[in-house]
Amino acid sequence: MSDAVALPAVRRRAWTMPGGNLGIKIMGGVVLAALWQLLVGWFAPPYVAKPLGIIAAIPSVLSDPKFLAAAGSTLWAVAQGLVVAVVLGTVVGLAMGRVRTVDRAFAFYVNGLNAMPMVAVLPLLTLWFGYTGDARMATIVFAAFFAIALNMADGARAVPPEYLEVAKSYRANWLGVWFGITVPASLPYLLAGMRIAAGRALIGAIVAEFYISLDGLGFYILFNSRSFHHDEAFVAVLLLALFGLSVEALMNWVMRRYLPWYRREGRN
Amino acid sequence: MKRTELWNDWLPPAITLIVGAALWQYAGSRTSAAFLSTFTATMARLWDMVVTGELLGALTESLTLFVTGFGLSVVVAVPLGLLLARINVLRIATESYIMMFNSMPMAALIPFILSMMGFGFAPKVVVVFLFSVFAVLYNTMEGARSVKPELLEVARSYRSSEWRLWRDVLLPYTLPFTLTGIRQGIGRGLVGMVAAEFFLSASGVGKLITVNERDFDTAGVLAAIIVITIFGTVLMALGRTIENRFAAWRGVSR
Repeated sequence: MSDAVALPAVRRRAWTMPGGNLGIKIMGGVVLAALWQLLVGWFAPPYVAKPLGIIAAIPSVLSDPKFLAAAGSTLWAVAQGLVVAVVLGTVVGLAMGRVRTVDRAFAFYVNGLNAMPMVAVLPLLTLWFGYTGDARMATIVFAAFFAIALNMADGARAVPPEYLEVAKSYRANWLGVWFGITVPASLPYLLAGMRIAAGRALIGAIVAEFYISLDGLGFYILFNSRSFHHDEAFVAVLLLALFGLSVEALMNWVMRRYLPWYRREGRN
Repeated sequence: MKRTELWNDWLPPAITLIVGAALWQYAGSRTSAAFLSTFTATMARLWDMVVTGELLGALTESLTLFVTGFGLSVVVAVPLGLLLARINVLRIATESYIMMFNSMPMAALIPFILSMMGFGFAPKVVVVFLFSVFAVLYNTMEGARSVKPELLEVARSYRSSEWRLWRDVLLPYTLPFTLTGIRQGIGRGLVGMVAAEFFLSASGVGKLITVNERDFDTAGVLAAIIVITIFGTVLMALGRTIENRFAAWRGVSR
């Protein structure tokens, strides 16, 4: 918590709050879990997942090589797809943000495809890539790309013009302008885009696995819930939630560690 | 001046649209129709869908599902978010979990809903609801949290009634955030809608896509995707317009 000292007083109070209220948070979780346990126990059929059953299922699921292979397959595909989407999205986003003609030319496509629920292209992608992992990869990249490109474009557009003017008057070369000013200044937007993209990529991967019956966490959930092993299936859901939260935490950490200037000048 | 602006703003998109259509036409004519149908064939199929009423029926089904599920999530999430904002203990106890659900891929819950509720309209509504509810709830909660404590203190020292406190402080502060949540929720709800139409009982535009895919009617698939893109763009634009309409409040009060 050494970096918290540098923050102004109000922020510091906000940062220390989670620790101070840990008791209330845990109690809240226990109450919610108890409600779930009791309500499902009373009103739902016995196979429906309950907290105690899920906890009991965790050791056997985590030691199941099939589950580990499924988890590895899904998360690795999501990570690879995200890297591809970030690289492509950054290039397209930078071009759209800084070159007006490019923006006008492609805004129609990018905005339209961003607004489209990406699940809809899944059947088309399976037609093109077959019922294989390639279709899942394509879904992930497709799901993640537009959020990154749009946010990166917003970021490149928001670069303070003073910076560019100073660079120009010092006759900075184009390489320095792009990689010294535009890219770093857009990084907070890229992170915001990646947060959205990671969530969409995860949904894309899961839905693709449902659709093409491809081994992975999504199919593990589908298979186990079909055979009424809801507790086991829910462990996979928890892992997915954990992955989503880790991405969120990672983005927040990068933001605080490497881009602290953004918060100070920006929103808060 | 006017002319160059017209030139700069409308020429590039016009060119890319025409080039896009031409490329599509060329690629489609070079491959089998089942792999990629041509632009003209897709448009003809789209026209066919409009004329036969196939499209109107599918859109009505999809829109009914979306409005029911999304409406339900707004009706549940907005009052709940405000309540959590007003009662501090409740908020602290639940906010971590709401954040967790907000960042969890809801698609993973579809198989559970399928095996518990089976087919029909209700489980699909639940899917759309789950996809969108946490975006609205999370943003509403965040908004209500951003109300400055000083404002509440001043209101209280002027003996503002609970009702006036809500009307004059809490609601105006929270509304812009809620609307951001509603815009996000629309986007997620649309994904939920299509996913529900794919994996639960097939219906609406989702069914149009899957049925045509199974028949290797790629023109039909592409036409349906175009329709759902327009559907999504219109709904998202609606959400963004409402959000921007009230976004000014955020700037003024902060």
